[in-house]
Amino acid sequence: MDLTRLDKRWIYLLLLLAVGIPLLVKVKLPVRLTAETEKVFEAVETVDSTGFVMISFDIEASSLPEVRPIAEALLKHLFRRDQRVIGLALFPEGTAIGYDLISSIANEYGKKYGEDFIYLGFRPQYVSAILQMGEDIRSVYPLDYLNNDWTMTGPFSGVRNYDDIELVISVADGSLPTYWVEYAGARHGQRIATGLTAVMATSYYPYTESGQLVGLIGGLKGAAEYEQLLGYVGGGQRGMLAQSSGHILIIALVLLVNLVAVRRRR
Amino acid sequence: MELGTLVALILTLAIFSFLYRENPFYRFAEYLLVGISVGYYLVIICRNTLYPMVIDRIFIRGELLAIVPVILGLLMFARLSRKWAYLSRLPLALMIGFGAGISIPAMLQARIMKQMSASMLPLTSINGIIILIGVISTILYFYFSKKQEGFYGNITRLGTYFLMIFFGATFGYTVMSRVSLLIGRLEFILRDAIGIVS
Repeated sequence: MDLTRLDKRWIYLLLLLAVGIPLLVKVKLPVRLTAETEKVFEAVETVDSTGFVMISFDIEASSLPEVRPIAEALLKHLFRRDQRVIGLALFPEGTAIGYDLISSIANEYGKKYGEDFIYLGFRPQYVSAILQMGEDIRSVYPLDYLNNDWTMTGPFSGVRNYDDIELVISVADGSLPTYWVEYAGARHGQRIATGLTAVMATSYYPYTESGQLVGLIGGLKGAAEYEQLLGYVGGGQRGMLAQSSGHILIIALVLLVNLVAVRRRR
Repeated sequence: MELGTLVALILTLAIFSFLYRENPFYRFAEYLLVGISVGYYLVIICRNTLYPMVIDRIFIRGELLAIVPVILGLLMFARLSRKWAYLSRLPLALMIGFGAGISIPAMLQARIMKQMSASMLPLTSINGIIILIGVISTILYFYFSKKQEGFYGNITRLGTYFLMIFFGATFGYTVMSRVSLLIGRLEFILRDAIGIVS
């Protein structure tokens, strides 16, 4: 059989089966923890009980299957620790997604809007927004996502700039964590962690090595690790068997095609 | 099944149908995505930017200084007229000046200085030695003023091996990312839409 002439739709079908069948099986694979994910967990653990944490949903809808488990795990951790959370989005598409995520997890833990969390919504020009928040968050977000004046009453009214925020977490599918590092980290000394798609993870390991990021959660595997640290089974751990079988199929295909190529050269 | 779930299921299957061949269902779903995205962006910009930053500030709070950026923003539209196009240079010049002034020192510090200091590890560990060799050989590979041959060529070839390791790791993570997206969609179909997975 000439593999070079194989209809690629057979490969799609194989991948569909390799990923789909494991989703029907309830088998939990052991997940090895990485230092980068543990560092994010520790960073959240070390936030003062009365401290504020900012979580930015720098995502688009297309990456939701991958970043949703990460965002859910982080929010569960924050609300479980009774941390006060400020949500925002620097991509338009992430705005409603972020609000839905933060509201649903807050609801799960009985948290109240305005008391335990607020959602500031979207601002264009992320560089300006990140920089300006270092001076005064109110000037960037005079009103929250629900058009309330959050600066007047409630525990969040005392938050002025990064000095009042212990940790910023960028849940991202693009290069936004770089801008958080450059404009909030380097300029204002803000501690920054990130949870991002696996495809972006390799670009950010140097930032964790240099200490510019306190840690990173990379893709569905990172979400599974974080869920393990929190002790619950979520979208990350549920997908690990399917993820592994998908990878095994792709490795097998790469090896097979290379073997065929070597044989043809001879 | 909820209406929203049914719509999401139909659109997911319409997009997946492209894997078999290009068809009108796929094209319909694609155009729908483009149209909805534009409409959604417009609503978000109006609701989250124009209202709080312009209408609320100028007309409700009476912060008249906010008119200045509004005028600068409106000047960008001057490009639509040949006669007045020169007026758009003012906001553009401000944006370029601001962008360069802000980003150059920040990039130098965050992407170069910090990364350089992080790569200068003590040579008492194996990691420190690998990083030193990797950084030097890779940078030398991108030095094009000397022919890459002999001993120098061997070092630059070593740099290409480090680059290939990076490309391999990136490809592995890309595969992981794409498989994750497929898992997300299949989980939606099997759990939320059909309900055969609890």
